[in-house]
Amino acid sequence: MPREAEPSINERAFILQALQENIRLDGRSLEAYRELNISFGEEYGVADVQLGKTRVLTRISSSITAPYPDRKFDGVFTITTELSPIASPAFEVGRPSDLETHLIRTLETTLRRSSALSTESLCLLAGTAVWSLRADVHILDHDGNLIDCACLATLAALRHYRIPDTSVSGGELTVYSVDERDPVPLALLHHPLCVTLNYFEGGEKVVVDAARVEEQCAEGEVVVGANPQGEVCLMQKGGGGEVDAVVLLRCVDLAVAKVRELGKVVDQALVEDAKRRDKGGMSRELQAENAR
Amino acid sequence: MPLDTSTYHLSLLRLDGRRWNELRRLSAQISTQAAADGSSYLELGNTKVICTVAGPAEIRGGQRREGAERDNAAVMVEVGVAGFAGVERKRRRGDRRTTEMANIITSAFTSTCFTHLYPHSTIQINLHILSQDGSLLAACLNAATLALIDAGIPMSDYIAACTSGLAPPNPSNHDSADPLLDLNGMEEQELPFLTVGTLGAGERVSVLTMESRVQVGRLEGMLAVGVDGCKQVREMLDAVVRRRGERVLASVVS
Repeated sequence: MPREAEPSINERAFILQALQENIRLDGRSLEAYRELNISFGEEYGVADVQLGKTRVLTRISSSITAPYPDRKFDGVFTITTELSPIASPAFEVGRPSDLETHLIRTLETTLRRSSALSTESLCLLAGTAVWSLRADVHILDHDGNLIDCACLATLAALRHYRIPDTSVSGGELTVYSVDERDPVPLALLHHPLCVTLNYFEGGEKVVVDAARVEEQCAEGEVVVGANPQGEVCLMQKGGGGEVDAVVLLRCVDLAVAKVRELGKVVDQALVEDAKRRDKGGMSRELQAENAR
Repeated sequence: MPLDTSTYHLSLLRLDGRRWNELRRLSAQISTQAAADGSSYLELGNTKVICTVAGPAEIRGGQRREGAERDNAAVMVEVGVAGFAGVERKRRRGDRRTTEMANIITSAFTSTCFTHLYPHSTIQINLHILSQDGSLLAACLNAATLALIDAGIPMSDYIAACTSGLAPPNPSNHDSADPLLDLNGMEEQELPFLTVGTLGAGERVSVLTMESRVQVGRLEGMLAVGVDGCKQVREMLDAVVRRRGERVLASVVS
């Protein structure tokens, strides 16, 4: 079974002792994120997020399928993850590890079960045709904090994606290609993001956005999924050393503040991408929507 | 049929007649399976879980383990949901949800049990869910605690778990949303809830999962109610273990 390198005893002692003086390995504060770069592809719906050395690429694609028989009015939204050895020697292709299950469950709960994407808006013809949206998350580089990075990438890709316009008349469904009508953005009800916090010394020191080596030395982690409106949609502390309940509540408050910051970074990246696509300022003229 | 919670704030009684801070009937027995190293059977309302523990045992051939873990016992958890456990018969295999539950239970007990006492061995926990009606993770954690104690595996304290949720807000006063303790199956489907597991009777939280959308301000209330409920659960688990201990002592002494 492939393994990744464990931190040596010296490294571990150094990290723990530095944390006692509130110093991290790369000089960040305990609550600071690493440098975050979001870039989009040429096509709509491709987002590449780099958080320090961790890199995740998400691609959104859509197709029309029949809905589930017990949910005739809902579209289908699936998230799949790819953890391959390209990211870390610990990953194996084809064998879902615990980390992969955890990652995919966290993404699903934050983005799908919290109704971030309104599945009813994906319904075209009730019972016969619905959009099936698929988010493929590829982990390209693993240096800690995969969950936050993957969530950022998936949310950015969802906000970036444009789905082909459709119309229904008299039971007939017409899907317009890109040449006929501009594709439309997805109906996202809220923009949830995840924040992973690792804790040391029984909850005394809480660290945001841990690098891989910090994760390996941590006693445990708490994942909080929230949206900028102050709603928490996921909280997961799956074992590890025990913490005081008060510390957990503090973690949640910290996470909500961080989600607001991250949300602004995503907004900024989307605005810049729109400007880049909008050469010559013609897109406002060509838009079919009126300013109301 | 969707849960009708319109009368919750009027009568202060839930659909099954409980008040907001009442647990369901928790009854448990340990040493239910003579052949296993440790076993327990736990009923939390209508949620029924059987747990057996095998260990500490030698590692079988194919399970090579990494450096640091060789100095500690490895806790392995398997969760199986019976086909007749839910309302409709469903034979689920390797469901991602049960895998995640198993992972949570594994990491919870890996840090609580004194695994450093048993290097190069495994502790296998098998959970079978016979009937599910809410609070599934909590019932599994409680049953596993009892079975581990029956197997004689030293732990720092009981892991007592229960769920707490949020009642729908009063239609006339939108700010008041009371927390509820120990949700049953129907309530879990409709209301936001969280599962919390504490280590012993204090405020040290060992497991916490929440998968529903809740305003940040309400979390404190839910967590406080949950931790309180865990204290009550711990008392009951302790009583079960002591009862069994007394019986064993009585049979030996006489």
